[in-house]
Amino acid sequence: MSNLGFALEGAWKVLLAGLILGAGLPAVFALGIRSMAFGAGGDAEVDHAAPHPVGRVVAYALFVLVVLVALMGIIFIVASGFGKTLSFEHIYPTIVDN
Amino acid sequence: MILVLVVVTALGFDFTNGFHDTANAMATSIATRALRPKVAVALSGILNLIGAFLSVEVALTVSNAVVRIQNSDGTPKESLTSDGGTALLLIVLAGLIGGIVWNLFTWLLGLPSSSSHALFGGLVGATIAGLGWAGVNWNGNGSKLDGVVGKVILPALISPLIAGVVAAVGTWLIYKVTVGVAARFTENGFRWGQIGSASLVSLAHGTNDAQKTMGVITLALIAAGDWTDTKNIPFWVKAACAVAIALGTYLGGWRIIRTLGKGLVEIAPPQGMAAESSSAAVILASSHLGFALSTTHVATGSILGSGVGKPGAQVRWRVAGRMVATWLITLPAAAVVGALMWYLGDFVGGVAGAVVIFALLLVAAGGMWLRSRLAPVDHTNVNDEWDEPAAVAERVPTGAVSR
Repeated sequence: MSNLGFALEGAWKVLLAGLILGAGLPAVFALGIRSMAFGAGGDAEVDHAAPHPVGRVVAYALFVLVVLVALMGIIFIVASGFGKTLSFEHIYPTIVDN
Repeated sequence: MILVLVVVTALGFDFTNGFHDTANAMATSIATRALRPKVAVALSGILNLIGAFLSVEVALTVSNAVVRIQNSDGTPKESLTSDGGTALLLIVLAGLIGGIVWNLFTWLLGLPSSSSHALFGGLVGATIAGLGWAGVNWNGNGSKLDGVVGKVILPALISPLIAGVVAAVGTWLIYKVTVGVAARFTENGFRWGQIGSASLVSLAHGTNDAQKTMGVITLALIAAGDWTDTKNIPFWVKAACAVAIALGTYLGGWRIIRTLGKGLVEIAPPQGMAAESSSAAVILASSHLGFALSTTHVATGSILGSGVGKPGAQVRWRVAGRMVATWLITLPAAAVVGALMWYLGDFVGGVAGAVVIFALLLVAAGGMWLRSRLAPVDHTNVNDEWDEPAAVAERVPTGAVSR
């Protein structure tokens, strides 16, 4: 296979991972912010709706989710630096030899 | 003696690499005032330092992708070390000088060009001069992504596109999700998101870029007979490279930060977060898949994408065009400097030759620094309004190259 073939083969994987993590995570974060605003009452300044406490809970849950995934990214960098990789075979991530 | 010059020059390159690339991680956070400029560069510097120490994978074969001066196990080619390594050291020294000169020149113009391209370009030029065209690994051997085409040119074409698409989708989603939400929630919330995602980019940058210099220095040490282990890098090399890239990052390439943060797109916090998340995801995914790329290309693509994805945002395509033009000439331009340096060093010969080209580097660097003082950009004016007119293009006449 030519270089172009290899490059395109890698490219769509990077695009897929990028869309899921690079665009998906910020969207989840945005949902959290929307939920936060909902928790404080209404989604805009002009809208003086009653506060919904559940909105805050959902918001914090979403933020924690985003932070956890990002932390996993950091662990992933560190682990691969030490010749290890993250495994998801037990559902929760574990560090194993690469 | 030559070895000392190579090590100093390599650390110098690492330093320029640091301040050239501060913008990739921090330009958006500075532009949206999520972080004060000084705080942003300090944070990025620390994360680069940590990142550099985390990169324990041996990057000794880094130059193999583009030039044939090493065997596949990382040891230098015997033919180049017969004279105590001088032949190889001169190629590496000339290549590094090519990389630094181009990095400084593009910094002077405030253009974010790829530091990896500058390094590879310098090495390719010095190798062509020293060993001829066959010394360059143009296309690999067809078994994997390799060579100048596979490791440098194709990723440079593809990665900004991917990053741009991801950032555009991310930006579009964010604005879709938060439509109608009060600004006090979106502004603050996304500033935090931005700081987090930018930190991730800084860390990834430290692990990716400091490695390259570590590999080059270790190669030089082996060529000179001062190190024999091809599986490990001396600790002092790792520490010195980490400190050099962190200091460079802390110095901050304010000119480039300004271009990326203010020149391309007027960035709002949600866009900034989308851009940095896209950069972080694309850089990490690529390095995991062994798809070599330049952080600079990815960051620029992401910022452009965040402008495309926001409804009604203005993208300054002219500025983007100038950047792309710079990317195209980075490799050949650094190669020309690298080749000239090799010819000069070889003409003078031996230690004296190395000293002469090193002195030339100092003169060129000093000259460009003085030139930059004429229109300084620092942490105080980095966020000033972007005045597009032709003044920007006229500020640096092309003739400045020859000085």
